[in-house]
Amino acid sequence: MKKRKGFLYYFVRNKNGMIGFAGVLLIVVIGMAGTLVIPKPEGYTNDILMAPSALHWLGTDNLGLDIFAELVWGAQTSLYVSILAMLIAGVIGIPLGLVCGYANGWVRECIDGMIDIFMTLPMLPLMIIVAAIMGTSITNVALILGVFSWPQLARVTKNSTLKIREMQYIEAATCLGIPPGRILYRHVLINASGPVLVNMTLVMASAVLTEASLSFLGLGDPTTWSWGTILKQAWSQNAVISSPNPWWWWLIPSLCIVVYVVCFNLFGTALNDCLNPKGRE
Amino acid sequence: MLRFLLRRLGRGVLTIFVSVTLVFFIVRAMPSDPVALMISPQMTEEAQQALIQAYGLDKPISVQYILYMKELLHGNLGTSFAKRIPVTEYLAQKLPWTLLLLAAVMVIVILIGIPTGLLAAAHKGRLADRVISVIVTMGISVFIPFMAFLLLFIFSFRLGVSPTGGAYTPPKAQGMAYYLDVARHLVLPAVTLSITNLANAVLYTRNSMIDVLREDYIRTAYSKGNSRGRVLRVHALKNALIPTVTVIGMQIGFMVGGATVTETIFSWPGVGRLVYDSVNALDYPSLQGAFLLMAVAIVVMSFLTDIVVAWLDPRIKLGE
Repeated sequence: MKKRKGFLYYFVRNKNGMIGFAGVLLIVVIGMAGTLVIPKPEGYTNDILMAPSALHWLGTDNLGLDIFAELVWGAQTSLYVSILAMLIAGVIGIPLGLVCGYANGWVRECIDGMIDIFMTLPMLPLMIIVAAIMGTSITNVALILGVFSWPQLARVTKNSTLKIREMQYIEAATCLGIPPGRILYRHVLINASGPVLVNMTLVMASAVLTEASLSFLGLGDPTTWSWGTILKQAWSQNAVISSPNPWWWWLIPSLCIVVYVVCFNLFGTALNDCLNPKGRE
Repeated sequence: MLRFLLRRLGRGVLTIFVSVTLVFFIVRAMPSDPVALMISPQMTEEAQQALIQAYGLDKPISVQYILYMKELLHGNLGTSFAKRIPVTEYLAQKLPWTLLLLAAVMVIVILIGIPTGLLAAAHKGRLADRVISVIVTMGISVFIPFMAFLLLFIFSFRLGVSPTGGAYTPPKAQGMAYYLDVARHLVLPAVTLSITNLANAVLYTRNSMIDVLREDYIRTAYSKGNSRGRVLRVHALKNALIPTVTVIGMQIGFMVGGATVTETIFSWPGVGRLVYDSVNALDYPSLQGAFLLMAVAIVVMSFLTDIVVAWLDPRIKLGE
């Protein structure tokens, strides 16, 4: 008989997944260790808008600050925001989604209504307003992102639960008299883990995008660096359409954001493929 | 069916009510004093009092709320603080621009997104699928300002073929020239805004098509002697489109307000830009009006989406 192969066996053989995982790891190392080695860029210097060179690897901005250093500090911000937002969204969204998909009657109606209403609020404009009220700090941004990201996670969990609860093995488990809590955890959540995990990595990715958007619109934390803040500065100085063009100033931070999100998405997709027996083929 | 429609409608109304209420109180919690913003010190005492009276700014928040809801039921969204015109009028000026942008995006998504997704599914695991997958992953991850910057850099700065912002070149041209001018201004924001939606449409179509092709009824269809093309078109496509329809439907609703960043960068005079301007100007009535509009747009779209999905998938029973 063929031995059943585990999750890791498939994961290390998934090329995209390993690229994504390596990227995630790299960002974590840079975000954690880089800020210990490189001092926080502050104030101004005379090296204004210098192109990338040996002294300034990725050039400097209009205040003469080193863009590489800004990016390293921005990586830390991105990590912090996305992890916190993902945890908050997960803690609220997954249990609500499970209960909503499995329960009947008014419990389900209530949670469903809540998900509906929260999904209905235009998120980015609402976050813009809340960020304006709460004041601009990184933790506030992460809180806002988490609180407004849970419905998406709850809906995915709910939809998977709805599908799984119709399966015969759930019927069998119910007939055996297994309590609903245990069924939800042992049978439903485990089988729904693919879509749910993917969605959690998506929450992390979109948290970074939204944080950058908020910072870009001037609602980020002015006391710390974020990739969005760098872009906002570049934009307000017309860097994209000015001549000679300081491309390193707007292009590189944008690429950082894209790479971050791509890595998380690749990682998430690979997780899904490896957790879902159908996807292992 | 009727029961489903009524329930769905009731929920829609409730959703709008809760959104409006939430937003009313969130907006009132803003840091600045609206009285100070509304009234310049040069005004006479009488004029100041009249303004305070008119906006109910001297009353407690609960009274302001009841006044607001009452006016809302009469179709009155208040008067914009910044523009000094009725909010309905302010929104009516901006909405057509957003709808135009949205229509352009939808055309791009449907004409390019769904066929590309089907192509990828049909070539699963082969070169075409891999190339599409990489592009889609990039597309989903794309940061809207980045996309906008790239397009601006290439088409406005380097090639000089596209305007850098706005919806038309002032002064307004007449007739055909005006429409062409608007179309020229529309291209960059529409492309920027479509990227994420396009990628989502491709991804959902591809994945659900692959799932559907594994279903038993597809094998049955083959074994009945149907050709590959017929199985794909008749048996698989309808079922595979369900997730795509859901996603596209939700996105249309959201894009009424979700285009804030794009509209801000391109100075597109739509509802998203209105939100940004209103936050900066602390223009409460306009903000509330814009949110109401967005909530209605999303409720309407999700209602329509549910109906289309139920029509596509008879296993989903309406009214249960």
